[in-house]
Amino acid sequence: MPAQVNRIVTLAPNMTEIVYALGLGDKLAGDTNDCNNPPAAKSKPHVGEPQNPSLEAIVALHPDLVLATDSINRVDTADALQRLGIAVYTAAGDTQTVLHILDSIQQIAGVTGAGPQGAELVGRMRQRLDELHARLQERPMVHVLFVVWKDPLITIGQATFIEDALRWAGAESVVQSKQNWPQISIEEVVRLQPDYIVFAASHGESAGTELADLRARPVWRDLDAVELGRVVNVSEEAIRPSPGLVDAIEQLAHDVHPEAFAEKSENRTSKTETQKALNAREERTLCVR
Amino acid sequence: MRPLTPRRVAWICAALGAVLFVAVVISLRMGAYPISVPEIVMTLVNRFIGRRNEIPPDFWNVVYEIRLPRIALGILVGASLSTAGAGFQALLRNPLADPYVLGVSSGAALGAIISLAVAPQTPGLIQFAAFAGAAGTITAVYFLGRRGGQIDSATLLLAGIVAVSFLSAVIMFLMTTLPGRDLRGMAFWLMGDLATQPRINLGWLYSLLIIGAGSIYTTSSDLNLILTGEQEARHLGVNVNRVKMVVYVAASLLTGLAVSVSGAIGYVGLLVPHVMRMMFGSDYRILIPASALGGAILIVLADMLARTVVAPTELPVGAMTALVGAPVFIYLMRRRVR
Amino acid sequence: MSSLSSSAAPPAITASRSAGLRLKVEQASYAYAATDRSAPKFTLGPVSFEAQQHELVAILGPNASGKSTLLTLLAGLNKPLSGRIEVDGTEVSQLDLRLRAQRIALVQQESELLFPLRVWEYVLQGRYPYGRRLRFESEEDCLFAGNALAQVGADALRDRWMDQLSGGEKQRVILARALAQQPSLLLLDEPTQHLDIGGKVELLRRLRRLADANRYTVLVVTHELNLAAEFSDRIVLLHKGRCLRVGSPADVYDREMLEEIFEAPLEVEMRPSGRPRVILRGSR
Repeated sequence: MPAQVNRIVTLAPNMTEIVYALGLGDKLAGDTNDCNNPPAAKSKPHVGEPQNPSLEAIVALHPDLVLATDSINRVDTADALQRLGIAVYTAAGDTQTVLHILDSIQQIAGVTGAGPQGAELVGRMRQRLDELHARLQERPMVHVLFVVWKDPLITIGQATFIEDALRWAGAESVVQSKQNWPQISIEEVVRLQPDYIVFAASHGESAGTELADLRARPVWRDLDAVELGRVVNVSEEAIRPSPGLVDAIEQLAHDVHPEAFAEKSENRTSKTETQKALNAREERTLCVR
Repeated sequence: MRPLTPRRVAWICAALGAVLFVAVVISLRMGAYPISVPEIVMTLVNRFIGRRNEIPPDFWNVVYEIRLPRIALGILVGASLSTAGAGFQALLRNPLADPYVLGVSSGAALGAIISLAVAPQTPGLIQFAAFAGAAGTITAVYFLGRRGGQIDSATLLLAGIVAVSFLSAVIMFLMTTLPGRDLRGMAFWLMGDLATQPRINLGWLYSLLIIGAGSIYTTSSDLNLILTGEQEARHLGVNVNRVKMVVYVAASLLTGLAVSVSGAIGYVGLLVPHVMRMMFGSDYRILIPASALGGAILIVLADMLARTVVAPTELPVGAMTALVGAPVFIYLMRRRVR
Repeated sequence: MSSLSSSAAPPAITASRSAGLRLKVEQASYAYAATDRSAPKFTLGPVSFEAQQHELVAILGPNASGKSTLLTLLAGLNKPLSGRIEVDGTEVSQLDLRLRAQRIALVQQESELLFPLRVWEYVLQGRYPYGRRLRFESEEDCLFAGNALAQVGADALRDRWMDQLSGGEKQRVILARALAQQPSLLLLDEPTQHLDIGGKVELLRRLRRLADANRYTVLVVTHELNLAAEFSDRIVLLHKGRCLRVGSPADVYDREMLEEIFEAPLEVEMRPSGRPRVILRGSR
């Protein structure tokens, strides 16, 4: 790994987020087409899709270090880059818990020469998680169905970090599967009757739209959760191992354990977090309808 | 009466070779890295006149490590698939045969998926496993496709269809039930991928291409006769069983070779021989070399498009081969006034 | 029985031709069974006969009499279980594929062509047995192919596409390809099957001319009694795998025997030319 890292190219959206969270946004020379968070990342030079980036585009950016993750990027890409003499750091993507993700962020910070910022970032994240844990300790686990995809119906498995994230938010997936992205039948959902249905937002769809859609579908509309309007949207960070994951966990916790947050928390530190709180409140009111 | 002469074959090959050269030159020019034609020429020339250290490392990388290897791989794959396609069309007596109809690519895909499930982070394993899968399928289909101890075209075709169906089912089963680990590489493999350089030196692979295509070429007079009827060919002195064996093994190995290093690129093996037939006739003594060169040209052009139309996103080569090949095919079809 | 007629158009039958014993079949027999171990389903032979240059021999018999099996033996596709078959003094089954193709040409019904082919390309393929396996045709090859086309009167068809020919034209072209092999022996398996009476006569006349004017020995497998009688020098009469008679048409056509073999009421008439004619009895 190079001693001085001044130019970074990221090959995955969560890597981009981590780079910005570590305060290294200026050093980001290029990222992928899919990197949309934070918005500044969209205007950086692009090197293509995470799975098949253009080697030439990467070479043209003269990076000191390329950041990849083995949960999205192919080993062939890293291999080819190394053969061209470009340093590549591949984060272990098979992270199974949220704490592993924190470790991973710390390591990335170390490799990019941002050790102190990394320690601070991880420290803050850890602190928020611990506070959340304390608040939710007494509460019973809420059973949720985490929907990755509706048609066909795909949910999450036990070994994913999303499952672990749910636990931090005081929730548990009703589906226990060894496969990471099991496809299940709606019948199974009827049998399990989750308390909440959780969607990971994409394309700016809100919980309201999702709920309306489910209410129009046979079988779905008869689920307890749908009848009671207990449909929740979490931000995309919930399915990305990045700093925003903690925001998503907090938001989810607010949505499924509203009673635990009776008084407004004063610990919001960033603008995005405030915005998320506002969104979450809006959606909560939608939910109760 | 103007029979085919070696001279005419040489001329056509030279013409196609020239077109290939032009395609390579154009393709060499295209890419995300800003390098001009004079710079490319300088990089090419300096290497061979001993001024290697005067070449900037970036230029070296772009020309010799990224673009040329990719083009060379494309030529290898295109030539292999087209020659194999022409061979299979004769062997199976079916103009719609393509190199994948006998299950070679399905077997390779199965090998690939197993290697991804077992050891996804080992670079190069997928290619080796794919070739092993291909070889296994070739053997199995051969034994299934025999009748009375000899290769029978109709039985072989059926055996291939069965193999494809069975292997596809197994692949689908594995893709849904495996612990969902690194199977995303599979999508690329199924669409065709020239970005990954093979572990084995390209020189070895080219030797295999020459041996395989050469073997099929030595049977081209025989194939011409076999295409007018197997019995008739026997009566004219053709050792039909031997020829079928040679073509089967050589064409299957060529297909396995191509598919192992680049995934399953479609249409090349089917379209190119037909286009070459329309241009130069059905005589296999010209069809084999013409198909090889034609396939190389098609892949080089298709890959160039795949790299550049929506840069920096790289499209799968297989999508481009149809887009480039189909209009040529349609044009030739309409021009044929019979 | 037979008489020489000086004004007969077809050549006199009994006049023996000069040298050139082309084909010699000596006690050839064959059998095949459903499996290796079961009893033979069909036995042929023993068959013996000879054929000279310039002769047209008809292998005659009803269906399932073994004609086609005998033809496969003559073509060298199967080895006789006993006896010998010699062409130009060499045993047929000893010849390698290419040499055999240089001596013996077998004309069959054409299979469907997959890709378009011109007539001259098709006929040129008949030159395959000469030269190396991967070969390019020489001027000499073109000469022989052109000759072959001329011999069947198909010169004008040279540049046409094979799939645009009529049935009769195609047959001539197939014959030309066989002739391009420059064979000693020309074998035809029921060539008149799909032809009307005009076509049948035309074909047999052409074969007769080829036998007479060129050096071919022609063997035709057929069940057409009158055509065989009219055009052949010699007839080999088969019935249920047994060779009943060999000889000139006049010698071979015995009414009672023919009736029994072909299972039909027949009359045999002797014509002035010395050749017999067979008609259905009671059809007056």
